[in-house]
Amino acid sequence: MEEQFEEDIEKSLNEALISCEKCHFCNTVCPVVDTRLTQGPFGITRAIYYGLQWNEFGSSLRDLVYSCTTCGKCDLMCKKVSRALPLTEIIEKAREFLLIEKMAGPMPDQVSVLKNMHVRGNPWGNPSHERTNWAQSLDIPFASKDNKVDVLYFVGCASSYDPQAQKIARNLTKILKQAGLNFGILENETCSGHEARRMGETGLFAYLSEANMEMFKEAEINHIVTGDPHSFYSFTQEYPDKCNSIKIQHYSQFFNELVDEGKLKFTAKLKKTVTYHDPCYLGRHSQIFEEPRKLIQSIPGVSLVEIENNKQDSDCCGIGGGRMWMEPPKSLLSSQAIAERRIHQAFDTGAEILLTACPFCNITLNDAVKSLEKEDSLAVMDITELIAMSL
Amino acid sequence: MDLDLEQLAQDLKSIVGEGHVHTDLFERINYADTSLPYDVGKEDLPDVVVQPANAQEISGILKYANEHEIPVTTYGSGTSLMFGTKPKHHGITLSTERLTSSDISEDHQWLECGAGLKTGILIKELGKLGYFLPIQTQIGSSMGGALTVNTLGHLTDNVFGGRPISNVLGLEVVLATGEIIETGSKCLRRPSGWDLARIFIGSEGILGIITKVRMVLIPMPQTVDAVGFFKTVEEIGGAIGLMYKNKLPLPMDGEFAGKKACKVGYEALGLDFPEGAMAITRSMGRTKEDATRDAQEMVKLFKEAGATESFILEDPEIAEKVWGVRENAMRWGQEKELKGYLAIEVNPALPRLAEAMTELSHITEGRDDLIGQTEAYLYGHVGSDSLHCLFAFPYDWTTERMKQVVNEIWNLEKELQLKYDGVGGDWGWLPYRVPFYREKYGETSYELIKKMKQLFDPNNILNRGNLEGEV
Repeated sequence: MEEQFEEDIEKSLNEALISCEKCHFCNTVCPVVDTRLTQGPFGITRAIYYGLQWNEFGSSLRDLVYSCTTCGKCDLMCKKVSRALPLTEIIEKAREFLLIEKMAGPMPDQVSVLKNMHVRGNPWGNPSHERTNWAQSLDIPFASKDNKVDVLYFVGCASSYDPQAQKIARNLTKILKQAGLNFGILENETCSGHEARRMGETGLFAYLSEANMEMFKEAEINHIVTGDPHSFYSFTQEYPDKCNSIKIQHYSQFFNELVDEGKLKFTAKLKKTVTYHDPCYLGRHSQIFEEPRKLIQSIPGVSLVEIENNKQDSDCCGIGGGRMWMEPPKSLLSSQAIAERRIHQAFDTGAEILLTACPFCNITLNDAVKSLEKEDSLAVMDITELIAMSL
Repeated sequence: MDLDLEQLAQDLKSIVGEGHVHTDLFERINYADTSLPYDVGKEDLPDVVVQPANAQEISGILKYANEHEIPVTTYGSGTSLMFGTKPKHHGITLSTERLTSSDISEDHQWLECGAGLKTGILIKELGKLGYFLPIQTQIGSSMGGALTVNTLGHLTDNVFGGRPISNVLGLEVVLATGEIIETGSKCLRRPSGWDLARIFIGSEGILGIITKVRMVLIPMPQTVDAVGFFKTVEEIGGAIGLMYKNKLPLPMDGEFAGKKACKVGYEALGLDFPEGAMAITRSMGRTKEDATRDAQEMVKLFKEAGATESFILEDPEIAEKVWGVRENAMRWGQEKELKGYLAIEVNPALPRLAEAMTELSHITEGRDDLIGQTEAYLYGHVGSDSLHCLFAFPYDWTTERMKQVVNEIWNLEKELQLKYDGVGGDWGWLPYRVPFYREKYGETSYELIKKMKQLFDPNNILNRGNLEGEV
């Protein structure tokens, strides 16, 4: 069985990679490329191809394969001008191959992360009973069979545990309350598994997705709203049957509906010029571009200016694809350097606020603006924070 | 070369710093790989990849390489797609990717940039200031690489003053022996008489390494696209001839695709256009009105030449898709599960353009060689008389069979260039074009180039094997 799996995955990788045109177009849009060919999708996928041909699966191949942020920008470029190879999927499959078949993955720092996801239901290894600590004193009900809710707010690991991202959870629930909704959270919510899958641990992803689906079923959930585009993507694209019996929405979709229905009203005029960074898993991977913009523009006094490389062309913040929990070798571009590039693009817009709609982007871009010592001239925040200010 | 490889890496680190010398297997593979339909072997890899930051460091590397007689293969960005950058004798691969300086001086009316700067980045930066780069190669290609070949990319010859060489004011070059020289001027008057820039531009990296480029600024033109649909490509050939004879303003860019290529492209892009061949042109002017007037003349010309339909492309989204028909070339063959490919370039003299198009339209028919077993797609340029033909074949052919078909296709290209008085070379494929040079220009010319190489590079350090025709 295992041999068959190895043969299948090797065959599928070979089949895909042999038709690479080697045009290098993919490298021209990759956020990880600095000044070296090998840093981008061209270099990574050719390394996978030759690794398979020459039976070379050492740490240098692993370092390259795990350096990708899985932002998906290369996929679009390949589709536009070349052979439409699913480069991100190939890289993720190679991670799975290295991890399961060759025991050469993941990155050393990610081993404990995967273990934490399995044992404690979150990548940081925080106690699972502390997952809802952010909600203490907010009087948020737990959804269950006995306490049915109209809307389940799926918080996600980052907004549950990370102090910076917890602001998103607090603001999001404040908005839901303001709209007068019957909503709740899961008492035993666990990791969506999105990042486990990105790191090649497909078995763990299956385990976590089943655990979540079981909880959704038990609490008779029909409608989920989340502020985490990574979970949103997995729910709608990767979970069993794509959660097709449940309505899944990112808050930017749901809040627009509430505004249209008159349930969500803004009272304060903010007089702010803002720009918006499209998170990879909300934008390019899930094709949600207009809803966040519409929501931002519905806040009185807010003026939206577009950042360079927006919508489909948005640049990655640098920590997708499992990079949140690893620092690539010095020969590869650091996540901070990638995020700082994005901050520079935000400065060029002249905006005073850089908005995003993802806890990962929020954490990274906030770190980058601090490392550049520019907190005084550019604030980084989630859209929910701006909305909360205008309520 | 009998130097210990560890010592070699160590010595290079002392010149360029710890993080810029790479001996890892996958780094060496990536800097050797080609887009030929067969893999590189371990015998094709460089011993080390080095990434200097400036001319001084390159000078240090070349002096060191001369001292130890180590071959140095220069690497710009690898987008010539072939084997100019594949080392033929191991040694050092010297990447110019870190030479990314850029200075656009509106006061001087020139731009100055490092050789490693990507054309796509420069195009974007110039565009912000309202200027245009007269080199429209693949956006990932390097400025140094483009000038080393003297390629315009897709632009029409003779529109922006001719080839890039005509817009270069000066160069910084590191000679093969390590000396650094500067050519040209910092004023807008280009040198008359001896200008050494002209020796290095187009010399395909065998005499020295271009490290910095100074070019005149060209104001961004306004553009308007026109499209014409024809029953056959031969009619497009006729239209191009008429365009010159009627003294029409040349489009800055233009493409055509044959019937088969159009069919695949239209289907892929969801375009509902008439069956047959298609030509698209981009007319330019100082104002939109100027460009529109020229585009209208192109529409008139296309109709006179037999187009069943021709019009100006008003909708930018549709225009992008129509240009995409040609850009889609890399997917041709896939509809028939053919994933191996190789393309050629033929530049017929203008009076024989239609004839060459006819021949290429039927190039695989009645052949008993491997070319006869390929699927051929004809496409090319409208402004420049440049024809391409892409041959697609199964990727599961054996390596020997792949090498055989590649040789047949190269030989076919040579024969067609000789037959139709063409030259070409925009893809920078010096090694395999050596037989063509020798037949086209004779042994005296070839020997002259070899003597120049000997003069500039007495130890044959730079791109060793390319002038010898080693592929």
